[in-house]
Amino acid sequence: MSTAFYWSIAGTAAGLVLVGLWGVLTRKHILRIALAFTLADTGANLLLVWSGYLPGRTAPIVDGTFPASGIASAVVDPLPQAMVLTSIVIGVAVAALFVVVGVLASRRTGSADVRRMKELRW
Amino acid sequence: MIRTLTGLIIVLILGAVAAAVVPEMQMREELQGVGYSYASRGMDDTGSSNLVTAVIVAYRGLDTLGEVVVLFCASTAVVLILTLYPIGMKASEPSRVVAFTAKVLPAPILLFGVYFIAHSHISPGGGFPGGTVIASVFLLVMLGSSSVPDGKGRLSAIESLAGLSFGLLGFWGIMTVGQFLNNAFLGTGTPGTLVSGGLIPLISIAIGAKVASEFSGVFKAFRNTGGTV
Repeated sequence: MSTAFYWSIAGTAAGLVLVGLWGVLTRKHILRIALAFTLADTGANLLLVWSGYLPGRTAPIVDGTFPASGIASAVVDPLPQAMVLTSIVIGVAVAALFVVVGVLASRRTGSADVRRMKELRW
Repeated sequence: MIRTLTGLIIVLILGAVAAAVVPEMQMREELQGVGYSYASRGMDDTGSSNLVTAVIVAYRGLDTLGEVVVLFCASTAVVLILTLYPIGMKASEPSRVVAFTAKVLPAPILLFGVYFIAHSHISPGGGFPGGTVIASVFLLVMLGSSSVPDGKGRLSAIESLAGLSFGLLGFWGIMTVGQFLNNAFLGTGTPGTLVSGGLIPLISIAIGAKVASEFSGVFKAFRNTGGTV
């Protein structure tokens, strides 16, 4: 993987977080806000996986294509990938709760527009 | 207008922070610290040739137990809210394409999900993705019929049993070698074979069953028309 590609992944990840944040701050439809939130979530996960990359290495699965004695010099960092799995699952849980509360709130106010949800203001 | 401007300013500030911080994360040439330790010892310690699964289920099994609890809390909250306030999505007559797909595809997808869970220690996969694949079968079948299946509490029973067996597998370690969620007391077998990795396959099955039943319950709750999950 070339250096340009390596940095473009980081740029994509940071861009996804920023686009998601932008969406959360400026959109009005509550489901769009939920979608923007999951975009930011994906960006954060991508950045974590990217941080575990090492040049010229393979996935952290021992499959006989490299000697078992030299695992530590043949695979990328398994730790960020394990952390990201946790992060994805928690992200799904939060998104599901988000959508349900959003649907309920829109039923209550008769509109999915967050500006009309005066009960949620503080 | 003010809303857009405020959003723009905040995003620009954070973009500047990201542009300053991310380039500092230089590409590493060698593994260091915990990552090095997991990669070099993981297969010998756990018998799992998938090092990510070794980290998730064996080294950080307690974290995964906590993660399962978080997922349980979230899905319980979703099901509770949808049971108290049904959003009453009417189960309409499915189109012919969906109805046909829902007849043909469940078996292969189910097989794929079970494979994903059972082979989590030797190939990519694991309890969480495998469980989600199995839950997608439930969703597909539900979309392919105009009626909502009445689980008669079986989904909850599977979920509780799976969560309980995760905890009991942990306590098994306390009873035998005095360590919660110890992975290796059964022997770790030959890495790369189906029966290897100590407790990892058993815990993966528990996680898979739990995730599958939880997500199925959430899908069903969205079509809530009464009846128990």
